[in-house]
Amino acid sequence: MTMVLAICVAVTFAVSIYLMLGRELKGVAMGVFLLGHAANLSIIAMSGSPVQTDAQQQTAEHAGVHLTSVDSPEMKDPPILTNQYANEQPLAQMVDPLPQALILTAIVIGFGVMAFLLTLLVVTNRKARTIEVSDLAEEAREA
Amino acid sequence: MVMIAVFAPVTLGLATLWLPREWIERRMAVAVAGPALAFVLLLSIAVGASDHLGAGKDAHHGDTATAFGSEHLTTGTLNWMPSLNINFAFLTDGLGLFFALLVSGVGVCIFLYARGYFGREGPTSADDLYRFYPTIGFFTTAMLGVVLADYTILTLLFWEMTSISSFLLIGWDRYDKKAVKLAMQAFFTTGLGGMGLFGGVLVFGNATGNIVEGGIWRWSQMLEHSEALQTALLNITNNPQLMWAFVLMFIGAGTKSAQFPFHYWLPGAMAAPTPVSAFLHSATMVKAGVFLVGRLFPVFAALPLFPQLIIPFGAATMLYGGVVALQQHDLKRIFAYTTVSQLGLLMAMYGLGAIDFEFVKDGKTLTAAAIDFDVTQIANHAFYKAPLFIAAGAIGHVLSRDITQLNGAFYKHKAICGTMMAAALGLAAVPGTISFQAKELFLYAVMHAAKVSPWLWIVMGMTIITAVCNVAICVRVWTTLLGLKGGMSEADAPEAHHDHHHEHPHEHGLLANLIWFPGAAIVSLQFLGGLFPGAFWGPIFGGFEQTAATGNYFYKGVPNLWYILTHAFESLPFWISMFCLVAGFFVGRSRLGRGAVKDFADHIYPVMYWLSVTGGGRCFRVVQTGNLKHYLLFVLGAMLLGFGWAVQLDISNGGGMLDAVSIEAARFFEYWPGILIGFIACLTAVLIPTTDSRIVRVVFLGATGFAVVALYLVYQAPDLALTQLMFEIISVILFVIVLRLLPKEKRGRDAGKLWRVPIAVAVGLAFGWMTLVAASNNRGNGAFADDGVTPLVEPSNPHAEPLGVTLAQHSYGLKTDEFGNTKLETAMSEGPDGVSERGGGGTNIVNVILVDFRGFDTLGEICVLGLAAMGVWSMLPHRRRKSDPKREVETDYPQDAIEPPLDDLGQGVTA
Repeated sequence: MTMVLAICVAVTFAVSIYLMLGRELKGVAMGVFLLGHAANLSIIAMSGSPVQTDAQQQTAEHAGVHLTSVDSPEMKDPPILTNQYANEQPLAQMVDPLPQALILTAIVIGFGVMAFLLTLLVVTNRKARTIEVSDLAEEAREA
Repeated sequence: MVMIAVFAPVTLGLATLWLPREWIERRMAVAVAGPALAFVLLLSIAVGASDHLGAGKDAHHGDTATAFGSEHLTTGTLNWMPSLNINFAFLTDGLGLFFALLVSGVGVCIFLYARGYFGREGPTSADDLYRFYPTIGFFTTAMLGVVLADYTILTLLFWEMTSISSFLLIGWDRYDKKAVKLAMQAFFTTGLGGMGLFGGVLVFGNATGNIVEGGIWRWSQMLEHSEALQTALLNITNNPQLMWAFVLMFIGAGTKSAQFPFHYWLPGAMAAPTPVSAFLHSATMVKAGVFLVGRLFPVFAALPLFPQLIIPFGAATMLYGGVVALQQHDLKRIFAYTTVSQLGLLMAMYGLGAIDFEFVKDGKTLTAAAIDFDVTQIANHAFYKAPLFIAAGAIGHVLSRDITQLNGAFYKHKAICGTMMAAALGLAAVPGTISFQAKELFLYAVMHAAKVSPWLWIVMGMTIITAVCNVAICVRVWTTLLGLKGGMSEADAPEAHHDHHHEHPHEHGLLANLIWFPGAAIVSLQFLGGLFPGAFWGPIFGGFEQTAATGNYFYKGVPNLWYILTHAFESLPFWISMFCLVAGFFVGRSRLGRGAVKDFADHIYPVMYWLSVTGGGRCFRVVQTGNLKHYLLFVLGAMLLGFGWAVQLDISNGGGMLDAVSIEAARFFEYWPGILIGFIACLTAVLIPTTDSRIVRVVFLGATGFAVVALYLVYQAPDLALTQLMFEIISVILFVIVLRLLPKEKRGRDAGKLWRVPIAVAVGLAFGWMTLVAASNNRGNGAFADDGVTPLVEPSNPHAEPLGVTLAQHSYGLKTDEFGNTKLETAMSEGPDGVSERGGGGTNIVNVILVDFRGFDTLGEICVLGLAAMGVWSMLPHRRRKSDPKREVETDYPQDAIEPPLDDLGQGVTA
């Protein structure tokens, strides 16, 4: 599963860079937006594959854990302690919660940045009457 | 006690700020108490030390080791930053103590003089004094620190503080742009030297690691190990670092002490009020460089470079300053250039001291350094230059500072002009002043050194010319002030300028005399010393002499005036002195060099300033194109290079990064819904740039976002999925709104798109690979290992649990039972058989992390959101007011934009 994710990261990154190198600031904004997705995906990859290996399943069964998760049996559990597990040890079947906490912050901040960026875009267009990168550069040099 | 002495001036100076502005006399009393207290404390140390060590010594004959030579008196250490070798400790040896006494003693006089100078009834007197005393107190403390600090870096700190206070005082008149410019010039020049000193101190500390464990960071250590250091310095080819240390420190000393060609800042510094010029720029601060060379002298004199570097600079400065001084009209500039000249002489003196000469005495051949009585030279200069400045400032108050305007001024202002004329005698080194003996001693030093290296006779010639110039200046001051024939008059100034004339109300009463009396007090020391060197000068200053410390003196005691006069006929220096006096007299009377000349070095700083500003601007224009594309390419290029380097390293280390790819590739098909969702994400992302329609683009962008939401679900992250879903929807709406406000895409300009593809692909591959490697190498965590039993990578500390596990365990509260299993705690009470802990109290671990373990981070996140909202709000046009037509013009839209629903947008963004 990590491989799949890595490919997704590669593709979204490539597209976002392509957009950012574009002619207009509009594309740049989209690129930044996509870049946020790519970065978040690469962070969540750190929690490892959510699919349990056979060895993990065997260990879990050996410990007497009954796999009654709502997901398909071979998946790990989300990082939520349920009552069902109150007397069991649920940690081995759980995905790492830390990257998720980091990403949650990143999503919210990413949204704030994007809103700011879009407003900048509107204001730039209003003041400079263009959002072409090269036109703006010329204007900056003249100023 | 030294600590109190050092910090007394600034403390009391700041204390004056609490006094009401009108209390001028009381303010003065409090401020003067600072240097006075320092002076008394330091004097008690000096007296105590000489009583203790020098009992029975006869300083006049200088036969016994004197008070401060045999032992280096350091105070206790107050730790500040021991790891960086910066602590408070003070070294009260002869040189430092002498300088400290000079600073505090002259300081007292200057503090009094400032009261007379700024006056009482002037429009800004009260304000000026209010500002002046804290600033000058700060300087006094800094200067005392420079000369007394034992730690090399502490000296540097105080050194920079003197630069800062000098900057503040030169730019005293804050509304005078020229003064501020000159202050910056002085600050940058001495600051440059400060960097040199810093480098020198660091190199010195590093290079002496083989002599003292950890290197030498204290002056007292340097003096203690002077023999080992001298040995190292003699084979300088083996220790080139020591030579660089010296060169760097000399740059510091040279800029501070206004050595040619860095002397330009000192005449420029005359923009300062006269008390400052008298104190900082003649008597004390500019001597800091001389002090530093004197501090280094006992050790670094062994370095062959020492005289070779110092003598040429010193001598050139001496000659240049003397010649230029003669051709000035402003009194303060005249005296500034003579100060430059004298500083050159002092430097050259130390340089000459490094040359050993042989002499025959009582049939034996002895070797001695050609230096004697450095302290006498330094004190001598302070004792005539400070009064000259004081008198110059005073006369500038009542008449003018332009010498051509002062013809016959003596008859109007007898006290002030009398002080100036008396001090000018010191400048000319007339017999009867200590200056005369000092010149004699210097001439002796040159002569002795010249016996060793004959080219030093050139220095002798330069000294003679300088002395002639000094005498000529003295003659001109006398004749002008007395209104005699041959004095300077307005006829000598082609364009009369009165710009230095300050109108100050003339004061009467006892305190009014403070404008000249401190000068007279100081200059009286000149004559006391000159007339009674044995009875007065020797006992006081003999103990401080540097050569007394090393025992290498060639002249026992300051020579008595009558001795010189009676035994003079066989000695060359005496005839040289006489020649200088006579020649100077005639030069002074002549028409030679009467016009005011400009110093070419005045252009050095402006030219450097101009070069750096325009050069920097040109650089800026080349580097900063303003084109986003260029910046982005630069960043990405650097990143790709770094990644390439990492791969290169990895391959040479066995290729773990390549293995990661094959391991993960084998697990590609483990979960087919994941593959499907990943494929959708990739497909929609790739489709974005293929279309020209911006709405379709946004739709694809949203589709990618929803695929990412699904990926989060696969990764068992329901919180992420929910949050992303919500923001994705808002974002897409926002994009659509914003796109409506922007001009339509112009078609047909898509040429040159292709070069973006390889860059994008390369960066994407790099990031994908990095993700893979990072994800597959982070398995040193027992609970989350792939196989659940053995980790792929052995953690460095096998007992350490990964952070995620720890956070999970503590997010609710848990209990360890008798079998060692960890269970969730359902009750608050502690179980009978295990440890109970209270956790975050939540079952959703991610939430607990956000609001509890990383609570402050989340608070910061909220702040970021708030800031973004405020930024958006401030950039958007506010609700228009009808009374403000200007604003409506600003918020006019371009014609090709669609009329926007502005209020909706504002709400949409900030919601």
